[in-house]
Amino acid sequence: MKILRKIAAWLVPTLCLIFVASAVFRARAPEKGFHFKDFATLPVVSNGRVQPLDSLARNALLSIVGKQRVPGDNAPQSPSEWLAELSFRPEVADERKIFLIHHDEILGLTGLTRDEEKTYSYSQLQPSFDAIQPEARRIGAKEPQTWSPYEKALMRLTRNLGLYNGLKHTLAHPGQNQAEAEFTLFLSNIDGALVEAEKKNNGQSFNEDAIASAAARMRSILEWAPLTDIYAVPSGDTVDDWRKLPDSLIDAIDADGLLPATLAYARIGDAYRANDPVAFNSAVSEYTQWLSEKWPERLAKGSSETLFNRVAPFYLSMVLYVVAFLCAILSWLKQGATLRQAAFRTLIIGFILHTAGLVIRMMLEGRPPVTNLYSSAVFIGWGAIVLSIAIEAFYRNGIGTAVAAVVGFSTLLIAHHLSLSGDTLEMMRAVLDTNFWLATHVVVITLGYSATFLAGTIAIVYLIRRIFGSIPKSTAASFRGMVYGVICFATLTSFVGTVLGGIWADQSWGRFWGWDPKENGALLIVIWNAIILHARWGGFIKDRGMMVLAIFGNIVTSWSWFGTNMLGIGLHSYGFTDSAFFWLSAFIVSQLLLMALGFIPERQNKGTVKV
Amino acid sequence: MLSILRKFGKFLSSLRLTIVLLALAMVLIFVATISQVELGIHEVQLRFFRSWVAWWDVMPGDKKLSLPMPGGTLLGLLLIINLLAAHGARFKLRWNKAGMIVIHSGILIMLLSEILTGILGKEAQMPIDEGETKNYSVFQREVELVIIEPDSNGLETVTAIPQSRLRDGAEFPMEGFTVKILSFFRNSEIVPESEATEEFEKTRATTGLGKPFAVRGTPRETQADRRDLSTAFVEIIPKDGKSQGRWLLSNALKTEENFNVTGKTWKMTIRQRRLYHPFSIKLLDFSHDRYLGTNVPKNFSSKIRIINPETGENREDLIYMNHPLRYGGLTFYQSGFDNNDSTSILQVVRNPVWTLPYISCAMVGFGLLWVFSQHLLKALSRRNRSTSVES
Repeated sequence: MKILRKIAAWLVPTLCLIFVASAVFRARAPEKGFHFKDFATLPVVSNGRVQPLDSLARNALLSIVGKQRVPGDNAPQSPSEWLAELSFRPEVADERKIFLIHHDEILGLTGLTRDEEKTYSYSQLQPSFDAIQPEARRIGAKEPQTWSPYEKALMRLTRNLGLYNGLKHTLAHPGQNQAEAEFTLFLSNIDGALVEAEKKNNGQSFNEDAIASAAARMRSILEWAPLTDIYAVPSGDTVDDWRKLPDSLIDAIDADGLLPATLAYARIGDAYRANDPVAFNSAVSEYTQWLSEKWPERLAKGSSETLFNRVAPFYLSMVLYVVAFLCAILSWLKQGATLRQAAFRTLIIGFILHTAGLVIRMMLEGRPPVTNLYSSAVFIGWGAIVLSIAIEAFYRNGIGTAVAAVVGFSTLLIAHHLSLSGDTLEMMRAVLDTNFWLATHVVVITLGYSATFLAGTIAIVYLIRRIFGSIPKSTAASFRGMVYGVICFATLTSFVGTVLGGIWADQSWGRFWGWDPKENGALLIVIWNAIILHARWGGFIKDRGMMVLAIFGNIVTSWSWFGTNMLGIGLHSYGFTDSAFFWLSAFIVSQLLLMALGFIPERQNKGTVKV
Repeated sequence: MLSILRKFGKFLSSLRLTIVLLALAMVLIFVATISQVELGIHEVQLRFFRSWVAWWDVMPGDKKLSLPMPGGTLLGLLLIINLLAAHGARFKLRWNKAGMIVIHSGILIMLLSEILTGILGKEAQMPIDEGETKNYSVFQREVELVIIEPDSNGLETVTAIPQSRLRDGAEFPMEGFTVKILSFFRNSEIVPESEATEEFEKTRATTGLGKPFAVRGTPRETQADRRDLSTAFVEIIPKDGKSQGRWLLSNALKTEENFNVTGKTWKMTIRQRRLYHPFSIKLLDFSHDRYLGTNVPKNFSSKIRIINPETGENREDLIYMNHPLRYGGLTFYQSGFDNNDSTSILQVVRNPVWTLPYISCAMVGFGLLWVFSQHLLKALSRRNRSTSVES
């Protein structure tokens, strides 16, 4: 019996491990036909940083379709496959329905009819560009705070069309079907024209047409360059030395022929168009080989980022957290110790993946863990789980595991939605460019958020369990201990974090405290935690009161985390269509309802009513 | 009587009061945060945090409804009193109380430092062009009316009238003439005569560059990066009593106006109030890099030369993000740029109590750590005891 229990406690975690291993295996498995996985790792500079084509394609799809997959039948299987199609066979990509349009006014403007998927193709939208562009110019001239939901949606569509068009012109020119031949022809044309021009200058007879056709080709290359913001060709040791593909053609005039990257993309494109996987794969691997000799770190970074994207450790953690949560909940009903152990072990596996994801992101970025709103969500969950694991190790009653799973899952879900807005490994603005303060102030204050959310979540579990019958004295005592301890930790970290922020502000702007919304938000968390502690010490609240107040801490923290950012974009600019505002409001209402649970009087167990 | 006093003392030192005050502080901070959208950060600081009573416009606009609430100064002082009273009433020097005393002393220092910063601190800006040398900074939210008397050696004697004294009808007697302020607008809109509507003032300048313009007063600027355009109609009345005419002066017009009295040509203008330094700063070079293919700033920096005739100092320094220059009791920060990256904007701050928050932070941080680790140790020993009892 004992052995059976032991096996059972390992069963779920083992299945989870198999699940994770298979995901990693699938991400690394070699492909038949076109090696899009290798193509995906090729580095380019976009958004100011070196990144693999894989990230470029994924972030573009997230922004355009809202997911990392191209919808529809016969759609490309991976983002990089879609990017190859868009670059080298744009006429096919243009027919794919990927532009998401929700707003009726935009449909009216474009003359499209509503269909079920609400997605439209580039070629469907193309006839309406003349209608969209003046609208975008009109709206762009206004302050973004005053944009209506329709105007926001139109600007989003315009931005996505621009993004799409930029990608289309990054690795090839849509009009050129034989890139290698045309590039070589361009160079020889220019050489020929230079000879003719020399003759002209010397007053000799010369070929007028040769000069004219070279000039026409030159013009088309010059017109090509502004169409993309992405730098595909490495030509030096720093990020600023990268060149756009068309610019690299101009550079080639003075050099001895095409740069290896230019030639590689020409061959890759030609092979793709010719549907020749062998040529495609060999062009990719030749270029990879060249890169690995010249700038191995760029290729290595591209490969690890691609693998990170493919494995998606945060997604795997979310699945494991759900499993851990279910096991923990069930452990309170039946099979206590066995299920509790299974839940804890599953949580640990999820946590290891979560940590691995966090560390890989830090290594890719060369930064401390929190650099933007997205990474703050990932880190809040991580911090809360660290605390919960300590709690679980201390109390061993499944509560720590359950709350860890809830907080971990919710914060990763929030992070996923935040990632829809674009590149999450973006470069830091000058003012934030300091690893010291990012590592101290930002990390500590985010731990304060973690702890306050954690205390609130434990309190929620307490109040919900209370409805299902009175909680045994010892369990109530451990709930009290957990919430109290976590609030103490929250007070410490949110105070120190807030003040460190003040010190950073003093160092970089000369004022310690400026009462700006984010600072105020942080201060509210500190004061709220202080209020709970003082009320507790003064005996004004007992267990139930502390739980109710701890849940209000969730509201205060969510205000500081998100609410203050919404103020920045204008208090009156968003209606209920702004989804972040909607979800914040919904969250606050839900927390108020949960607080109301605390006012339901204690339920008496029938057996213990007076005899 | 004594019992009332004792009761009052008890009330002042009570934990209940602490909680009420902290809760009121939360309400104040929250309301002040959302009010920033309407009022801008400076107005909010004055109205909510540096005030005894704060008036909250619940419904800004036509149907104005304002609610009073205790302001930052009042709450801060009450919290200080409450804190001192509580420790006075229950003061016991014991090791387990030491943590609390350290925490609360730290908080006291923090509250004091915020109050002192409000009184002693100064914040100005120095917009400086490449190649330019400047020995003063300007206050972006304050103007002054200056009368400049040139002398034969090329030196100028400047008489500055601060903004607080610029009122409609105010008169300032000078040597040989009087400056009369006919009307003063803290913030204003200035348009060419032809575009003036009914809402504009009927008054026009009779002389000077401001003649073809009409003016009307507007509410103060709330955006932190914009400044007020202050305007005044000014008359110069020499001793003989005959007005020399009416000028329109404004910090929106970059030029100075001339007038002749007492046989000299004087100059006058309205400009941002200046803070003169006993040293000069020359901007040698400003650089501003962006990330490739984006508009995101990578860094900006100002290479400057400090020239101090008093100490004979003459050296170069580099001011960049997160690396200010502390010099002569002032701190210079890289704050912004203008004119296609040829002008650097430095933030100039004087805050004699800037060290207090550092001390306070250390005290409270260590205090909290001390107290909470005691709690933790207690909880651990309690658990060990209970598990040993179980077994």
